[in-house]
Amino acid sequence: MAAVAPKLSVSGLSKSFATLEVLSKIGIDIADGEFISIVGPSGCGKTTFLRIVAGLEQASAGEVRIDGNLVKQPGIDRGFVFQSDNLLPWRTVLNNALIGPEVAGAATPQAKSRTLDLLKLVGLAGFEHYFPRQLSGGMRQRVNLARALAVDPKILLMDEPFASLDAQTREIMQTELIRIWEQGRKTVLFVTHQIDEAVFLSDRVLVFARRPGRLREIVDIDLPRPRALGLKRTPEFVRYVDHIWSLIEEDVRQSVLHEGG
Amino acid sequence: MKQQGWGVSTLSIAGGLLLWEGASRLAVENSLFLAAPSQIALAIVNLAVSGQLARHVEISAAEFALGYVLASVSGIAIGLIMAESERAKGILQPWVSGLYATPTIALAPLFLLWLGIGIWSKVLVVITLVLFPVVINTEAGLRTTSERLIEMLRSFGATRRQIFVKISLPSAAPFVLAGLKLGIGRGLIGVVVAELFGSRAGLGQLISQSADSFNMPNLFAAVVVLATAGIAMTAGFSWIEKRLVPWTRD
Repeated sequence: MAAVAPKLSVSGLSKSFATLEVLSKIGIDIADGEFISIVGPSGCGKTTFLRIVAGLEQASAGEVRIDGNLVKQPGIDRGFVFQSDNLLPWRTVLNNALIGPEVAGAATPQAKSRTLDLLKLVGLAGFEHYFPRQLSGGMRQRVNLARALAVDPKILLMDEPFASLDAQTREIMQTELIRIWEQGRKTVLFVTHQIDEAVFLSDRVLVFARRPGRLREIVDIDLPRPRALGLKRTPEFVRYVDHIWSLIEEDVRQSVLHEGG
Repeated sequence: MKQQGWGVSTLSIAGGLLLWEGASRLAVENSLFLAAPSQIALAIVNLAVSGQLARHVEISAAEFALGYVLASVSGIAIGLIMAESERAKGILQPWVSGLYATPTIALAPLFLLWLGIGIWSKVLVVITLVLFPVVINTEAGLRTTSERLIEMLRSFGATRRQIFVKISLPSAAPFVLAGLKLGIGRGLIGVVVAELFGSRAGLGQLISQSADSFNMPNLFAAVVVLATAGIAMTAGFSWIEKRLVPWTRD
């Protein structure tokens, strides 16, 4: 891994809002095709980190590079999957998913047929001409994912995309995400509150600490792929979850006690 | 459930008309004070046959249409400007809020003095009544555009212009349409009241003329025609809304 140039390289990344330091000197290299999750207590800056990589926010110091190129603003080399689906209610599923290519001036027939394939891939075949209000929460998140993939990004950035789903739907969506990811093996940065979700999906888990937000430990998840839900009941899996929990437990306890969660 | 609702409503209207008919025939008797529905229907037919009705409707419709279209176009434009520029909003907001709350219809005699007894004084009254709800709704619709949707588009590197066209405009559309719908009723009131203050023709003029000659059937006939126009336009507008902004249905 050290031999090849990283897909995403973050170095000395810090971010302050006024006097509050949200992120402090984050540094990480991520290889092409890696699935990376970021977990940590509320207020550890994990979402801010993702937003800086997306170019939606500016770092106070440090830099983000993709394939060696400095990231300064949003662009279609990254696809962002939002926590709330942010679908446009006046557009059909297909036209929602096509909005990235459209903005980039690349809404070609090829882009359309690729997007149709993507909708099939995320399990929405037959729903292309539905409107968002006709879909369930899980289906809307599938559109959200297809929309990010439609620009064929180098890196997929996912901000707690399953947080608003019920527990069963979330489990299904996790296995679906694995299945979809196996098709293209894109580089993924996945922010989540759920430790088991992070372990289940990832090659590596970045554990953040709070005050200021910083990288506490990188946990390599050495579990075989492809992964199925049954993996969650194996002792190895539980050991990873316990280990990560032990890393953030004190932080979480503090944030719950002093700030009411 | 819905079927039953329709049935009840129809019964209610029929019952109301019957009561009205009975009351005016048996209780009031004197047609100086109240006209029965049957008399009103007859009056409408007579007015229509003599060609008077068409003349009045034509004038009122022209006044309404001119005022409504001018107010809608400029209202949307002003709303856009106010949403785009903080300074423009600062300058215009107090006037818009103030004039929206003012019963500008009270200025009708003044407009009559300025523009004469013809249609333009009425058009101006309609404009002052329709303009402000359109401005306010357009501005509010554009300003309440969801930040999350804007951010979604921004994540793909969208320009300001793209955000405006693809997000702000469509999300403001239901608000703009609601403002325009509000304008229908206000505009109709404007036409009639302005005509009451002085005019040569129009439904408002028919009303004041009928009142002067104690012709209750004709007076009510004008009111019924106005009510029908208002209901029809509002219903037509709801139909358009359903097709233009179907996502706001629930």
